[in-house]
Amino acid sequence: MAQTALTIDGLGVDFGGFKAVNNVSLTVEEGELRVLLGANGAGKTTLMDLVSGKTKSTEGRVFLHDTDITNWEEHKIARAGVGRKFQIPSVFKDLSVRRNLEVASCRNPGVLANLRFGFSQQARHDVDRVLELIGLTEEANRLAAYLSHGQTQWLELGLLVTQSPKVILLDEPTAGMTQAETHKTSEIVNSLKGKHTLIVVEHDMAFVREIAERITVLHLGQVLAEGNVEQIETNPKVREAYLGSKGIG
Amino acid sequence: MSIKQRIQIAIYVGFFALIMCAPMVLDPFWLNRIAKYLVFGMLGVAVALSWGYAGILNLGQGLFFGAGAYMLAMSLKLASPTSLQQGSDRPVPDFMLWNAEPGAPTELCCITKASFLWLPFQHQWFGIVMGLVLPVAIATIIGVIVFRKRIAGVFVSIITLALVLLVRLVVIDAQPVTNGFNGLTDLGVFKIGELELDPYIVPTYYFVAIALCLVLSGARLLIETRAGLILQATRDDQNRARYLGFDVPLYQTFFFAVSAGIAGIAGMFYVVVSEFASPTFMDLTFSITMVVWAAVGGRSSILGACIGAILINMISATVSETEGFAEAWKVIIGLIFVLVVLYLPRGVAGLAHDLIDRLLVRRKAPSRHPVGVTDASQLAE
Repeated sequence: MAQTALTIDGLGVDFGGFKAVNNVSLTVEEGELRVLLGANGAGKTTLMDLVSGKTKSTEGRVFLHDTDITNWEEHKIARAGVGRKFQIPSVFKDLSVRRNLEVASCRNPGVLANLRFGFSQQARHDVDRVLELIGLTEEANRLAAYLSHGQTQWLELGLLVTQSPKVILLDEPTAGMTQAETHKTSEIVNSLKGKHTLIVVEHDMAFVREIAERITVLHLGQVLAEGNVEQIETNPKVREAYLGSKGIG
Repeated sequence: MSIKQRIQIAIYVGFFALIMCAPMVLDPFWLNRIAKYLVFGMLGVAVALSWGYAGILNLGQGLFFGAGAYMLAMSLKLASPTSLQQGSDRPVPDFMLWNAEPGAPTELCCITKASFLWLPFQHQWFGIVMGLVLPVAIATIIGVIVFRKRIAGVFVSIITLALVLLVRLVVIDAQPVTNGFNGLTDLGVFKIGELELDPYIVPTYYFVAIALCLVLSGARLLIETRAGLILQATRDDQNRARYLGFDVPLYQTFFFAVSAGIAGIAGMFYVVVSEFASPTFMDLTFSITMVVWAAVGGRSSILGACIGAILINMISATVSETEGFAEAWKVIIGLIFVLVVLYLPRGVAGLAHDLIDRLLVRRKAPSRHPVGVTDASQLAE
C-alpha cells in the first residue's frame, strides 16, 4: 500500500464570518496526482494557501507524512517538502534562467552556509537535467524577464523540480497558455508523476484529461465529490453544481 | 572563466592601479580631496549592495556613516592635545567644560550628565571597534524589526529616512555629550603604532585607497557567493524565494547589516581624512546624494556605484571652482543626474556592460542571442 504524503484533516478558515474553506479533509498518497476542480470561489486557491502557509487556518490540521505542518511559516513548510507554483507566474526576472534554477538548487537555506562560491557537480547536473525537462536549455543564459509567458510558467515549474519537494502544489499551471504550450505542460507534469506527489488546481478540462488520475471537486469551500474523471463526469451533484448539464469540456 | 569575467577582473585591477598611482601626479591638497572621494566611493558600494542587490532603498545610509564617524571621532577627540589641557590628568573634551554645570569636577566620569559614555573611548581601538559594531548592531535591529514584519519598498525608505533625521536630532540635542550642532572638531591624529596618519600625507592616502580596494573586492566576492545569488532572488521576488524555503528576512537583514558596516567603515575613514565629525553627516541631503551617486554609477554594479561617487564629486569640485560656473554648478550636476536617469537607467556601469556585450558579440558573431539579454550574474559561468 502506498504511503500517505499529505493529509488534510478538517481544514477551514474563517475570514470574519465567511468560510472560504470549511471542514475540508483530503488524503493524497505518495506519487499521486490529484486535481482540484471547482467553480470560481470554490476555495481551491485558498486551500493551497492554507497548505503552503500563506493563509493561517482557523481550524483543522495539515500533515506532511507524519509531521504536523499546520500554520508553520511559509519557508519552513517549503523546507519540510511542500513546493508551490503560483497562479501568476513568479520567477526571478533579473537573473538568467540558469541562475534561477541554481537558486532553487541551494539545499541549505541559511545565509552563512551559502557564503561559498560555485555549485557542486551534482547541483550543476541537476540544473542541466531540469533545463532539458522544461525545454529551456537554449535559453539558459537569457534573463528570465525576456521569456515568453509559457516559458516563464515552465521555468517556475523547473524551480520546483530543482527544489525537489515531496509535495508539489500547482495553481493553474496552464493559465494563459496556447494549446501547444498546454500540451507541453501536461508532458512536464506527467513526467513528474510517481516521483513527486502533485496537487493541481486547473480549469482547462483538456489538460485535466491529459493528466488526471483522481479529481476532488470543491464547491463553496467544501468537498463535493472525489473520484476519477469518469466518476466525476457522471456524478449528478457535480453536474448540478459546477459543470452544468452538458458535462465536462 | 568566461571572457566577460576576465574583462571584469581586468577593469577592477585597472581601477585599483589607477587609484594607487594617483599620488605620483597629485599635490597633497588634491590627494586629500581624492582620499575623501574614495571614502564616498565606499559609500557607493554600501548603497549598491543594499539598493541594487538587496532591493532595499535605504534613504538613511548617513545614519551608519555618522555612527561610524562619531565613534572614531570620540576616540580621536580624547587623543587631541587640547583635551589634555583642560586641567585634568586625563583627557577631557574642551566642549564638555563649556557645557558643564558650575562646580562639576573636570573628570570624564562626571563632568556632564552622560560624559561617562566617553570613558572607554580613551583607547583608540575601542572607537574603531565601535565604529564597526554600532552601525552593524543598529542595522541588525532595524532589519529584524522591519523585514520580519515584511515591510518592503518605499516604506523601508520612509522608515530609514525618518530614523536618520531622528538620530540627527538626538545628536544635536545631546550637546553636553556630542557638542551638538558643532560636531567633534579639533581631533587628534589617527595613529597606527608609531605612524601618525596626517590627512595630507601620502601614506594616509594609501591607507584609504587600500581599504577601498578591500571593500570593493570583498563586496564583489560576497555577491558572487550563493548567498549573494539568493539575495538577488529575494530582491526579484520575495514570495517566490520564500516558497523555495529561504528565510527572506534573514538574508535581507544580513546584507543590510553588511551594507551598514561598510558605511560605518567609510565614516571612520572620513574622520581620518577630514578630521571632524558633525551632524551634517546625518543630513537628509547627504543620504540622498549617496543614492544619486549609485544611480549615476549604476546601482546594480558595485564598482559602478563606487566610480559614480568618485566621479560626481570630482566633477562637482572642478565645476564649482571654474570661473563662470561658480554659481551655476549645481544646475550642471542636476542636469547630469536627469540625463543619466532618463537615458542610462542602469547608470554608467550599465552602459559599459552593453558596450562590452556588443564588442563580444561582434567578435564571435553570429550569436544566438541578441545584445542586452545577458546579465551580470552570468559572468560567473
